[in-house]
Amino acid sequence: MRALCWNGVNDLSVETVADPGLLNPHDAIIRVILTTTCGSDLHVIDGLIPSMREGDILGHEFMGEVVEVGSAVKHIRRGDRVVVPSFISCGSCWYCQHQLPSCCDNTNPQWEKGETVLGHPTGGIYAYSHAFGGYAGSHAEYVRVPFADNDCFVIPEGVTDEQALFLSDAVPTGYMGADFCNIHPGDTVVVWGCGGVGLMAQQSAWLMGAHQVIGIDRYPERLAMARDYAGSIALDYTQVDINEALLELTGGRGPDSCIDAVGMEARGEGLSQVYDKTKQLLHLETDVGAALRQALYACRKGGNIAILGVYGVMDKFPLGLMINKSLTIRTAQQHGQRYMHRLLEHVAKNELNPAFMATHRFSLEDAPRGYEMFKHKEDGCVRAIFAP
Amino acid sequence: MAKKSQPESAGEVVTLRRWITVGLPATDLFALWLEPNTLPRIMSHFATVTPVNKSDALWQIDGPLGKHYSWESRIVEAQPGEIIAWQSLEGADIPNQGELLLRPAPGEWGTELALTLRFTPPGGALGKKVTTFFDLLPKEIVSKALHRFKSLAETGEIPTLDGQPAGRHAERQDKEK
Repeated sequence: MRALCWNGVNDLSVETVADPGLLNPHDAIIRVILTTTCGSDLHVIDGLIPSMREGDILGHEFMGEVVEVGSAVKHIRRGDRVVVPSFISCGSCWYCQHQLPSCCDNTNPQWEKGETVLGHPTGGIYAYSHAFGGYAGSHAEYVRVPFADNDCFVIPEGVTDEQALFLSDAVPTGYMGADFCNIHPGDTVVVWGCGGVGLMAQQSAWLMGAHQVIGIDRYPERLAMARDYAGSIALDYTQVDINEALLELTGGRGPDSCIDAVGMEARGEGLSQVYDKTKQLLHLETDVGAALRQALYACRKGGNIAILGVYGVMDKFPLGLMINKSLTIRTAQQHGQRYMHRLLEHVAKNELNPAFMATHRFSLEDAPRGYEMFKHKEDGCVRAIFAP
Repeated sequence: MAKKSQPESAGEVVTLRRWITVGLPATDLFALWLEPNTLPRIMSHFATVTPVNKSDALWQIDGPLGKHYSWESRIVEAQPGEIIAWQSLEGADIPNQGELLLRPAPGEWGTELALTLRFTPPGGALGKKVTTFFDLLPKEIVSKALHRFKSLAETGEIPTLDGQPAGRHAERQDKEK
Protein backbone atom coordinates (compact mmCIF):
# COMPACT_ATOMS: atom_id res chain seq x y z
CA MET A 1 0.00 0.00 0.00
CA ARG A 2 0.99 3.66 -0.14
CA ALA A 3 1.74 5.52 3.08
CA LEU A 4 3.13 8.87 4.20
CA CYS A 5 6.41 8.20 6.01
CA TRP A 6 8.57 10.33 8.28
CA ASN A 7 12.14 9.99 7.10
CA GLY A 8 13.73 12.54 9.38
CA VAL A 9 13.25 16.12 10.55
CA ASN A 10 10.97 17.87 8.04
CA ASP A 11 11.47 15.04 5.56
CA LEU A 12 8.23 13.37 4.48
CA SER A 13 7.55 11.16 1.49
CA VAL A 14 4.85 8.83 0.24
CA GLU A 15 6.26 5.32 0.05
CA THR A 16 5.12 1.86 -0.95
CA VAL A 17 5.10 -0.29 2.18
CA ALA A 18 3.61 -3.66 3.16
CA ASP A 19 -0.11 -3.85 3.88
CA PRO A 20 -0.90 -4.13 7.59
CA GLY A 21 -2.16 -7.48 8.84
CA LEU A 22 -3.97 -8.70 11.94
CA LEU A 23 -1.31 -9.14 14.63
CA ASN A 24 -3.51 -9.78 17.67
CA PRO A 25 -6.96 -11.36 18.11
CA HIS A 26 -8.72 -8.08 18.97
CA ASP A 27 -7.31 -6.23 15.91
CA ALA A 28 -9.20 -4.91 12.92
CA ILE A 29 -7.88 -3.57 9.63
CA ILE A 30 -9.48 -0.33 8.46
CA ARG A 31 -9.48 0.97 4.92
CA VAL A 32 -8.81 4.64 5.53
CA ILE A 33 -11.44 6.89 3.93
CA LEU A 34 -10.26 10.20 5.40
CA THR A 35 -7.28 11.12 7.57
CA THR A 36 -6.21 14.57 8.70
CA THR A 37 -3.23 16.64 9.74
CA CYS A 38 -3.18 17.67 13.40
CA GLY A 39 -1.10 20.38 15.03
CA SER A 40 0.58 17.79 17.23
CA ASP A 41 1.97 16.09 14.08
CA LEU A 42 4.09 19.19 13.56
CA HIS A 43 6.02 18.48 16.76
CA VAL A 44 6.75 15.02 15.44
CA ILE A 45 7.71 16.23 11.97
CA ASP A 46 9.91 19.00 13.37
CA GLY A 47 11.77 16.52 15.56
CA LEU A 48 10.59 17.97 18.88
CA ILE A 49 9.22 14.59 20.00
CA PRO A 50 12.04 12.14 20.61
CA SER A 51 11.90 8.44 19.74
CA MET A 52 10.55 8.68 16.19
CA ARG A 53 12.14 6.19 13.80
CA GLU A 54 12.93 6.74 10.16
CA GLY A 55 10.14 5.27 8.08
CA ASP A 56 7.38 5.60 10.67
CA ILE A 57 3.98 6.05 9.01
CA LEU A 58 2.34 9.32 10.16
CA GLY A 59 -1.26 10.18 11.02
CA HIS A 60 -3.48 9.61 14.05
CA GLU A 61 -6.85 11.22 13.26
CA PHE A 62 -8.93 9.15 10.85
CA MET A 63 -12.10 7.31 9.87
CA GLY A 64 -12.70 4.49 7.45
CA GLU A 65 -14.29 1.16 6.65
CA VAL A 66 -13.59 -2.11 8.45
CA VAL A 67 -12.17 -4.66 6.00
CA GLU A 68 -10.91 -7.40 8.31
CA VAL A 69 -11.42 -8.36 11.96
CA GLY A 70 -9.48 -10.62 14.32
CA SER A 71 -10.81 -13.81 15.90
CA ALA A 72 -11.70 -12.13 19.23
CA VAL A 73 -13.59 -9.17 17.72
CA LYS A 74 -17.29 -9.66 18.53
CA HIS A 75 -19.22 -6.49 17.67
CA ILE A 76 -17.40 -4.66 14.89
CA ARG A 77 -17.93 -6.18 11.44
CA ARG A 78 -16.53 -5.97 7.94
CA GLY A 79 -18.16 -3.10 6.11
CA ASP A 80 -18.80 -0.97 9.22
CA ARG A 81 -18.03 2.72 8.67
CA VAL A 82 -16.16 3.71 11.82
CA VAL A 83 -14.29 6.51 13.53
CA VAL A 84 -11.37 5.61 15.80
CA PRO A 85 -9.96 7.74 18.66
CA SER A 86 -6.27 8.51 18.27
CA PHE A 87 -5.38 6.97 21.65
CA ILE A 88 -5.64 3.19 21.76
CA SER A 89 -7.50 1.78 24.74
CA CYS A 90 -8.01 -1.85 25.78
CA GLY A 91 -11.30 -1.29 27.60
CA SER A 92 -10.34 -3.74 30.37
CA CYS A 93 -7.70 -2.17 32.61
CA TRP A 94 -8.41 0.01 35.66
CA TYR A 95 -7.88 3.21 33.68
CA CYS A 96 -10.21 2.21 30.84
CA GLN A 97 -12.78 1.09 33.42
CA HIS A 98 -12.51 4.48 35.13
CA GLN A 99 -13.05 6.64 32.03
CA LEU A 100 -9.37 7.42 31.50
CA PRO A 101 -8.78 5.59 28.22
CA SER A 102 -5.73 7.59 27.12
CA CYS A 103 -4.03 6.32 30.30
CA CYS A 104 -4.61 2.70 29.23
CA ASP A 105 -2.13 0.24 30.76
CA ASN A 106 -2.26 -2.37 28.03
CA THR A 107 -1.77 -0.69 24.66
CA ASN A 108 1.79 0.60 24.73
CA PRO A 109 4.05 -2.17 23.42
CA GLN A 110 7.15 -0.08 24.18
CA TRP A 111 6.15 0.52 27.74
CA GLU A 112 9.72 1.00 28.93
CA LYS A 113 10.30 3.97 26.60
CA GLY A 114 7.25 5.78 27.91
CA GLU A 115 8.21 4.92 31.48
CA THR A 116 11.61 6.53 31.02
CA VAL A 117 10.05 9.82 29.94
CA LEU A 118 6.90 9.94 32.08
CA GLY A 119 7.37 7.64 35.07
CA HIS A 120 4.15 5.90 34.08
CA PRO A 121 3.48 5.77 30.36
CA THR A 122 0.29 6.60 28.46
CA GLY A 123 -1.64 4.18 26.34
CA GLY A 124 -0.50 3.72 22.78
CA ILE A 125 -1.27 6.29 20.11
CA TYR A 126 -1.03 5.99 16.36
CA ALA A 127 2.10 7.55 14.84
CA TYR A 128 3.22 9.59 17.79
CA SER A 129 6.74 8.27 18.39
CA HIS A 130 7.88 5.07 20.01
CA ALA A 131 7.61 6.37 23.57
CA PHE A 132 3.87 6.55 22.85
CA GLY A 133 3.68 3.05 21.46
CA GLY A 134 5.16 3.29 17.97
CA TYR A 135 1.98 2.23 16.15
CA ALA A 136 1.89 2.76 12.39
CA GLY A 137 -0.31 5.72 11.50
CA SER A 138 -3.35 6.42 9.38
CA HIS A 139 -1.89 8.42 6.50
CA ALA A 140 -2.03 5.22 4.49
CA GLU A 141 -4.50 3.14 2.54
CA TYR A 142 -4.98 0.79 5.48
CA VAL A 143 -4.32 0.94 9.20
CA ARG A 144 -4.38 -1.71 11.90
CA VAL A 145 -6.62 -0.88 14.88
CA PRO A 146 -6.06 -2.90 18.09
CA PHE A 147 -9.02 -3.60 20.42
CA ALA A 148 -11.48 -2.93 17.62
CA ASP A 149 -14.60 -3.53 19.72
CA ASN A 150 -13.52 -0.88 22.18
CA ASP A 151 -11.97 1.63 19.78
CA CYS A 152 -14.04 1.50 16.58
CA PHE A 153 -17.27 3.50 16.76
CA VAL A 154 -19.85 2.89 14.07
CA ILE A 155 -20.84 6.15 12.38
CA PRO A 156 -24.62 6.59 12.10
CA GLU A 157 -26.16 7.39 8.73
CA GLY A 158 -26.59 11.11 8.44
CA VAL A 159 -23.14 11.84 9.86
CA THR A 160 -20.81 12.53 6.94
CA ASP A 161 -17.26 11.25 6.53
CA GLU A 162 -15.85 14.74 7.09
CA GLN A 163 -17.89 15.29 10.26
CA ALA A 164 -16.89 11.90 11.63
CA LEU A 165 -13.22 12.38 10.79
CA PHE A 166 -12.68 15.04 13.43
CA LEU A 167 -14.42 12.94 16.10
CA SER A 168 -11.19 10.96 16.08
CA ASP A 169 -9.25 13.65 17.92
CA ALA A 170 -10.05 17.37 17.50
CA VAL A 171 -13.66 17.16 18.71
CA PRO A 172 -13.15 14.93 21.76
CA THR A 173 -10.07 16.93 22.77
CA GLY A 174 -11.94 20.24 22.58
CA TYR A 175 -15.05 18.79 24.19
CA MET A 176 -12.98 17.35 27.03
CA GLY A 177 -11.45 20.79 27.62
CA ALA A 178 -14.90 22.34 27.97
CA ASP A 179 -15.95 19.43 30.20
CA PHE A 180 -12.93 20.14 32.45
CA CYS A 181 -14.25 23.71 32.91
CA ASN A 182 -17.31 22.49 34.82
CA ILE A 183 -19.34 25.22 33.13
CA HIS A 184 -22.19 26.92 35.03
CA PRO A 185 -24.80 29.37 33.70
CA GLY A 186 -23.26 32.82 33.44
CA ASP A 187 -19.73 31.53 32.88
CA THR A 188 -17.25 33.11 30.53
CA VAL A 189 -14.96 30.60 28.84
CA VAL A 190 -11.85 31.78 27.00
CA VAL A 191 -10.03 29.55 24.54
CA TRP A 192 -6.45 30.32 23.55
CA GLY A 193 -6.01 28.98 20.02
CA CYS A 194 -8.56 28.81 17.19
CA GLY A 195 -7.16 25.74 15.44
CA GLY A 196 -9.19 22.56 15.21
CA VAL A 197 -9.13 21.75 18.92
CA GLY A 198 -9.71 25.35 20.03
CA LEU A 199 -12.69 25.79 17.71
CA MET A 200 -14.23 22.55 18.95
CA ALA A 201 -13.65 23.63 22.56
CA GLN A 202 -15.56 26.82 21.77
CA GLN A 203 -18.50 25.00 20.19
CA SER A 204 -18.53 22.60 23.15
CA ALA A 205 -18.44 25.40 25.74
CA TRP A 206 -21.62 26.88 24.24
CA LEU A 207 -23.21 23.44 24.21
CA MET A 208 -22.44 23.07 27.93
CA GLY A 209 -24.20 26.32 28.75
CA ALA A 210 -21.56 29.04 28.75
CA HIS A 211 -22.85 32.61 28.88
CA GLN A 212 -19.98 33.95 26.81
CA VAL A 213 -17.21 32.26 24.78
CA ILE A 214 -14.09 34.05 23.60
CA GLY A 215 -11.51 32.74 21.13
CA ILE A 216 -7.95 34.11 20.88
CA ASP A 217 -5.62 33.74 17.89
CA ARG A 218 -3.70 35.90 15.44
CA TYR A 219 -4.76 34.46 12.08
CA PRO A 220 -7.71 36.38 10.60
CA GLU A 221 -9.25 33.33 8.93
CA ARG A 222 -9.19 31.37 12.18
CA LEU A 223 -10.67 34.29 14.08
CA ALA A 224 -13.38 34.49 11.43
CA MET A 225 -14.13 30.79 11.98
CA ALA A 226 -14.38 31.36 15.73
CA ARG A 227 -16.94 34.07 15.02
CA ASP A 228 -18.82 32.38 12.21
CA TYR A 229 -18.80 28.70 13.19
CA ALA A 230 -18.45 28.85 16.97
CA GLY A 231 -20.32 32.09 17.61
CA SER A 232 -17.47 33.31 19.80
CA ILE A 233 -16.08 36.77 20.45
CA ALA A 234 -12.80 36.63 18.51
CA LEU A 235 -9.75 38.47 19.82
CA ASP A 236 -6.53 39.01 17.83
CA TYR A 237 -3.72 39.09 20.37
CA THR A 238 -1.48 41.03 18.01
CA GLN A 239 -4.03 43.83 17.94
CA VAL A 240 -5.65 43.73 21.37
CA ASP A 241 -4.29 43.79 24.93
CA ILE A 242 -5.78 40.45 25.90
CA ASN A 243 -5.80 40.97 29.64
CA GLU A 244 -7.52 44.36 29.31
CA ALA A 245 -10.07 42.96 26.88
CA LEU A 246 -10.91 40.04 29.17
CA LEU A 247 -11.31 42.36 32.16
CA GLU A 248 -13.67 44.51 30.13
CA LEU A 249 -15.71 41.53 28.95
CA THR A 250 -16.08 40.15 32.49
CA GLY A 251 -16.67 43.29 34.55
CA GLY A 252 -13.15 43.10 35.94
CA ARG A 253 -13.56 39.57 37.37
CA GLY A 254 -11.62 37.70 34.74
CA PRO A 255 -12.91 34.65 32.90
CA ASP A 256 -14.32 31.74 34.92
CA SER A 257 -12.49 29.20 32.80
CA CYS A 258 -9.54 29.29 30.43
CA ILE A 259 -8.63 26.62 27.91
CA ASP A 260 -5.12 26.36 26.47
CA ALA A 261 -5.55 24.87 23.00
CA VAL A 262 -2.15 26.03 21.79
CA GLY A 263 0.60 24.28 23.72
CA MET A 264 4.25 24.68 23.06
CA GLU A 265 3.81 26.64 19.84
CA ALA A 266 2.40 29.60 21.75
CA ARG A 267 4.12 32.71 20.56
CA GLY A 268 4.89 35.38 23.05
CA GLU A 269 5.92 38.88 22.17
CA GLY A 270 9.30 40.53 22.50
CA LEU A 271 12.34 39.21 24.31
CA SER A 272 10.71 36.34 26.16
CA GLN A 273 9.69 34.97 22.77
CA VAL A 274 13.28 35.05 21.52
CA TYR A 275 14.49 33.45 24.74
CA ASP A 276 11.93 30.66 24.58
CA LYS A 277 12.44 30.01 20.89
CA THR A 278 16.20 29.79 21.34
CA LYS A 279 15.83 27.32 24.15
CA GLN A 280 13.40 25.29 22.09
CA LEU A 281 15.81 25.12 19.18
CA LEU A 282 18.66 24.14 21.46
CA HIS A 283 16.43 21.49 23.10
CA LEU A 284 17.07 23.17 26.44
CA GLU A 285 13.37 23.43 26.85
CA THR A 286 10.80 22.12 24.44
CA ASP A 287 8.12 24.55 25.55
CA VAL A 288 7.17 28.09 24.86
CA GLY A 289 3.97 28.37 26.81
CA ALA A 290 3.02 32.04 26.43
CA ALA A 291 -0.67 31.16 26.11
CA LEU A 292 -0.72 29.18 29.33
CA ARG A 293 1.07 31.93 31.25
CA GLN A 294 -1.42 34.50 29.96
CA ALA A 295 -4.36 32.25 30.85
CA LEU A 296 -3.16 31.74 34.44
CA TYR A 297 -2.82 35.51 34.82
CA ALA A 298 -6.19 36.39 33.29
CA CYS A 299 -8.30 33.70 34.97
CA ARG A 300 -10.55 34.78 37.85
CA LYS A 301 -9.77 33.55 41.36
CA GLY A 302 -11.09 30.05 41.94
CA GLY A 303 -11.40 29.53 38.19
CA ASN A 304 -10.57 26.56 36.00
CA ILE A 305 -7.69 26.05 33.62
CA ALA A 306 -7.90 23.25 31.06
CA ILE A 307 -4.65 22.43 29.28
CA LEU A 308 -5.12 20.67 25.94
CA GLY A 309 -2.01 21.89 24.12
CA VAL A 310 0.96 19.60 23.87
CA TYR A 311 3.91 20.29 26.14
CA GLY A 312 7.32 18.83 26.74
CA VAL A 313 8.82 18.82 30.18
CA MET A 314 8.47 22.45 31.18
CA ASP A 315 11.24 23.76 33.42
CA LYS A 316 9.53 26.95 34.53
CA PHE A 317 5.91 27.30 35.48
CA PRO A 318 4.18 30.15 37.33
CA LEU A 319 3.02 27.97 40.17
CA GLY A 320 2.42 30.94 42.47
CA LEU A 321 -0.47 32.09 40.29
CA MET A 322 -2.21 28.77 40.71
CA ILE A 323 -1.76 28.67 44.46
CA ASN A 324 -2.58 32.25 45.30
CA LYS A 325 -5.63 32.37 43.02
CA SER A 326 -7.04 28.95 44.02
CA LEU A 327 -7.00 27.81 40.41
CA THR A 328 -8.02 24.31 39.42
CA ILE A 329 -5.97 22.85 36.59
CA ARG A 330 -7.27 19.88 34.66
CA THR A 331 -5.53 18.29 31.75
CA ALA A 332 -5.28 15.04 29.82
CA GLN A 333 -4.54 13.52 26.52
CA GLN A 334 -7.90 13.06 24.89
CA HIS A 335 -10.24 10.47 26.40
CA GLY A 336 -12.08 9.97 23.13
CA GLN A 337 -13.72 6.66 24.06
CA ARG A 338 -15.33 8.36 27.09
CA TYR A 339 -17.15 10.92 24.95
CA MET A 340 -17.67 9.29 21.57
CA HIS A 341 -21.29 8.15 21.87
CA ARG A 342 -22.31 11.59 23.12
CA LEU A 343 -20.34 13.32 20.37
CA LEU A 344 -21.88 11.23 17.60
CA GLU A 345 -25.30 12.26 18.95
CA HIS A 346 -24.36 15.94 19.06
CA VAL A 347 -23.10 15.80 15.49
CA ALA A 348 -26.15 13.88 14.27
CA LYS A 349 -28.35 16.61 15.82
CA ASN A 350 -26.14 19.33 14.33
CA GLU A 351 -25.30 20.64 17.80
CA LEU A 352 -21.63 20.25 16.96
CA ASN A 353 -20.40 20.65 13.43
CA PRO A 354 -16.73 20.09 12.82
CA ALA A 355 -16.77 19.56 9.03
CA PHE A 356 -15.98 23.22 8.24
CA MET A 357 -12.43 22.67 9.51
CA ALA A 358 -11.61 20.56 6.44
CA THR A 359 -10.40 23.59 4.50
CA HIS A 360 -8.08 21.73 2.12
CA ARG A 361 -8.42 18.26 0.61
CA PHE A 362 -5.59 16.25 -0.97
CA SER A 363 -4.94 12.77 -2.27
CA LEU A 364 -2.52 10.74 -0.17
CA GLU A 365 0.13 11.23 -2.86
CA ASP A 366 0.01 14.97 -2.23
CA ALA A 367 0.17 14.66 1.56
CA PRO A 368 3.65 16.25 1.88
CA ARG A 369 2.26 19.33 0.13
CA GLY A 370 -0.74 19.24 2.45
CA TYR A 371 1.55 19.32 5.48
CA GLU A 372 3.46 22.26 4.03
CA MET A 373 0.25 24.23 3.63
CA PHE A 374 -0.98 23.22 7.06
CA LYS A 375 2.30 24.04 8.77
CA HIS A 376 2.58 27.49 7.24
CA LYS A 377 -1.17 28.09 7.40
CA GLU A 378 -1.11 28.95 3.70
CA ASP A 379 -4.39 29.96 2.11
CA GLY A 380 -6.15 29.91 5.48
CA CYS A 381 -5.49 26.20 5.96
CA VAL A 382 -7.02 24.99 9.24
CA ARG A 383 -6.86 21.27 8.47
CA ALA A 384 -5.52 19.49 5.40
CA ILE A 385 -7.35 16.20 4.97
CA PHE A 386 -6.21 13.29 2.84
CA ALA A 387 -8.35 10.77 0.98
CA PRO A 388 -6.15 7.69 0.37
CA MET B 1 12.83 -1.09 50.61
CA ALA B 2 14.22 -0.83 47.14
CA LYS B 3 17.63 0.68 46.75
CA LYS B 4 18.05 3.66 44.52
CA SER B 5 19.48 2.00 41.46
CA GLN B 6 18.78 -1.31 39.84
CA PRO B 7 20.15 -3.78 39.11
CA GLU B 8 21.37 -4.17 42.67
CA SER B 9 24.63 -6.01 42.84
CA ALA B 10 25.26 -7.68 46.17
CA GLY B 11 28.63 -9.27 45.77
CA GLU B 12 28.36 -11.25 42.57
CA VAL B 13 24.57 -11.58 42.58
CA VAL B 14 22.56 -9.37 40.24
CA THR B 15 19.05 -8.77 41.56
CA LEU B 16 16.27 -7.38 39.40
CA ARG B 17 12.93 -6.59 41.04
CA ARG B 18 9.81 -4.81 39.75
CA TRP B 19 6.16 -4.47 40.75
CA ILE B 20 2.86 -4.30 38.92
CA THR B 21 -0.83 -4.26 39.79
CA VAL B 22 -3.18 -6.44 37.77
CA GLY B 23 -6.98 -6.18 37.90
CA LEU B 24 -7.69 -9.85 38.59
CA PRO B 25 -7.82 -12.04 41.73
CA ALA B 26 -4.53 -13.55 42.89
CA THR B 27 -5.68 -17.13 42.34
CA ASP B 28 -6.47 -16.42 38.66
CA LEU B 29 -3.05 -14.85 38.16
CA PHE B 30 -1.36 -17.73 39.94
CA ALA B 31 -3.04 -20.16 37.54
CA LEU B 32 -2.24 -18.07 34.47
CA TRP B 33 1.45 -17.83 35.40
CA LEU B 34 1.67 -21.62 35.53
CA GLU B 35 0.00 -22.24 32.17
CA PRO B 36 2.58 -23.73 29.81
CA ASN B 37 2.27 -20.94 27.22
CA THR B 38 2.65 -18.06 29.63
CA LEU B 39 6.38 -17.93 30.40
CA PRO B 40 7.41 -18.44 26.77
CA ARG B 41 5.23 -15.45 25.80
CA ILE B 42 6.05 -13.00 28.59
CA MET B 43 9.80 -13.72 28.60
CA SER B 44 10.27 -13.73 24.82
CA HIS B 45 12.15 -10.38 24.82
CA PHE B 46 14.76 -11.96 27.04
CA ALA B 47 14.80 -15.73 26.72
CA THR B 48 13.39 -18.61 24.75
CA VAL B 49 11.56 -20.59 27.39
CA THR B 50 10.52 -24.15 26.62
CA PRO B 51 8.39 -25.95 29.21
CA VAL B 52 9.75 -29.43 29.97
CA ASN B 53 7.03 -30.54 32.36
CA LYS B 54 4.71 -28.95 34.94
CA SER B 55 7.56 -27.72 37.11
CA ASP B 56 10.62 -27.56 34.83
CA ALA B 57 11.48 -25.32 31.88
CA LEU B 58 14.49 -24.78 29.61
CA TRP B 59 15.70 -21.19 29.28
CA GLN B 60 17.98 -20.09 26.43
CA ILE B 61 19.35 -16.59 25.95
CA ASP B 62 21.56 -15.00 23.34
CA GLY B 63 24.39 -12.94 24.78
CA PRO B 64 26.70 -10.49 23.05
CA LEU B 65 29.31 -11.73 20.56
CA GLY B 66 27.13 -14.63 19.47
CA LYS B 67 27.35 -16.36 22.88
CA HIS B 68 24.46 -18.53 24.02
CA TYR B 69 23.58 -19.35 27.61
CA SER B 70 21.04 -21.83 28.89
CA TRP B 71 19.72 -23.44 32.03
CA GLU B 72 16.86 -25.54 33.28
CA SER B 73 14.67 -24.18 36.02
CA ARG B 74 12.45 -25.98 38.52
CA ILE B 75 9.57 -24.61 40.57
CA VAL B 76 10.52 -25.10 44.21
CA GLU B 77 7.57 -23.43 45.90
CA ALA B 78 4.01 -22.76 44.76
CA GLN B 79 1.27 -21.58 47.09
CA PRO B 80 -1.92 -20.66 45.23
CA GLY B 81 -2.53 -16.93 45.23
CA GLU B 82 0.66 -16.18 47.19
CA ILE B 83 3.99 -17.25 45.76
CA ILE B 84 5.68 -19.09 42.91
CA ALA B 85 9.45 -19.59 43.27
CA TRP B 86 11.88 -21.38 40.99
CA GLN B 87 15.58 -21.92 40.65
CA SER B 88 18.03 -23.16 38.07
CA LEU B 89 19.26 -26.74 38.25
CA GLU B 90 22.82 -28.07 38.39
CA GLY B 91 24.84 -27.25 35.29
CA ALA B 92 23.24 -23.88 34.57
CA ASP B 93 25.43 -21.51 32.51
CA ILE B 94 24.20 -18.72 34.76
CA PRO B 95 22.80 -19.96 38.09
CA ASN B 96 19.67 -18.01 39.00
CA GLN B 97 16.50 -17.89 41.07
CA GLY B 98 13.14 -16.29 40.48
CA GLU B 99 10.14 -15.45 42.61
CA LEU B 100 6.68 -14.08 41.96
CA LEU B 101 4.90 -12.77 45.05
CA LEU B 102 1.19 -12.00 44.94
CA ARG B 103 -0.86 -10.00 47.44
CA PRO B 104 -4.30 -8.37 47.29
CA ALA B 105 -4.35 -4.73 46.20
CA PRO B 106 -6.69 -2.22 47.86
CA GLY B 107 -10.10 -1.33 46.43
CA GLU B 108 -10.81 -2.42 42.88
CA TRP B 109 -7.16 -2.65 41.87
CA GLY B 110 -6.92 -6.44 41.98
CA THR B 111 -3.59 -7.96 42.89
CA GLU B 112 -0.10 -6.56 43.46
CA LEU B 113 2.71 -8.63 41.99
CA ALA B 114 6.42 -8.44 42.77
CA LEU B 115 8.76 -10.29 40.42
CA THR B 116 12.37 -10.87 41.41
CA LEU B 117 15.11 -12.46 39.31
CA ARG B 118 18.51 -13.14 40.88
CA PHE B 119 21.46 -14.15 38.74
CA THR B 120 24.79 -15.40 40.01
CA PRO B 121 27.34 -14.98 37.23
CA PRO B 122 29.89 -17.80 37.36
CA GLY B 123 33.53 -16.92 38.04
CA GLY B 124 36.36 -16.60 35.51
CA ALA B 125 36.33 -15.16 32.03
CA LEU B 126 32.75 -16.29 31.38
CA GLY B 127 31.64 -14.54 34.56
CA LYS B 128 33.15 -11.29 33.44
CA LYS B 129 31.37 -11.47 30.13
CA VAL B 130 28.11 -12.32 31.80
CA THR B 131 28.42 -9.43 34.23
CA THR B 132 28.95 -7.12 31.29
CA PHE B 133 25.93 -8.67 29.68
CA PHE B 134 23.75 -7.82 32.65
CA ASP B 135 25.19 -4.35 32.84
CA LEU B 136 23.81 -3.99 29.36
CA LEU B 137 20.43 -5.38 30.33
CA PRO B 138 18.40 -2.84 32.22
CA LYS B 139 15.73 -3.53 34.79
CA GLU B 140 13.27 -3.61 31.89
CA ILE B 141 13.79 -7.38 31.56
CA VAL B 142 11.59 -7.74 34.60
CA SER B 143 9.18 -4.85 34.07
CA LYS B 144 8.61 -5.91 30.49
CA ALA B 145 7.78 -9.45 31.56
CA LEU B 146 5.36 -8.08 34.15
CA HIS B 147 3.69 -5.77 31.66
CA ARG B 148 3.26 -8.56 29.18
CA PHE B 149 1.80 -10.74 31.89
CA LYS B 150 -0.61 -8.00 32.95
CA SER B 151 -1.79 -7.42 29.38
CA LEU B 152 -2.21 -11.12 28.81
CA ALA B 153 -4.23 -11.42 32.03
CA GLU B 154 -6.39 -8.34 31.51
CA THR B 155 -6.95 -8.48 27.75
CA GLY B 156 -5.93 -11.95 26.57
CA GLU B 157 -3.21 -10.53 24.32
CA ILE B 158 0.17 -8.81 24.46
CA PRO B 159 0.47 -5.51 22.59
CA THR B 160 2.85 -5.77 19.67
CA LEU B 161 4.22 -3.99 16.62
CA ASP B 162 5.85 -7.11 15.15
CA GLY B 163 4.86 -7.26 11.52
CA GLN B 164 3.41 -3.78 11.16
CA PRO B 165 4.38 -1.81 8.05
CA ALA B 166 6.99 0.96 7.95
CA GLY B 167 9.08 2.57 5.24
CA ARG B 168 12.56 1.81 6.55
CA HIS B 169 14.62 2.02 3.40
CA ALA B 170 17.94 2.27 5.15
CA GLU B 171 17.44 -1.20 6.51
CA ARG B 172 15.85 -2.56 3.32
CA GLN B 173 12.83 -3.77 5.19
CA ASP B 174 9.31 -2.56 5.43
CA LYS B 175 8.00 -4.48 8.39
CA GLU B 176 8.90 -4.38 12.05
CA LYS B 177 10.82 -7.38 13.29
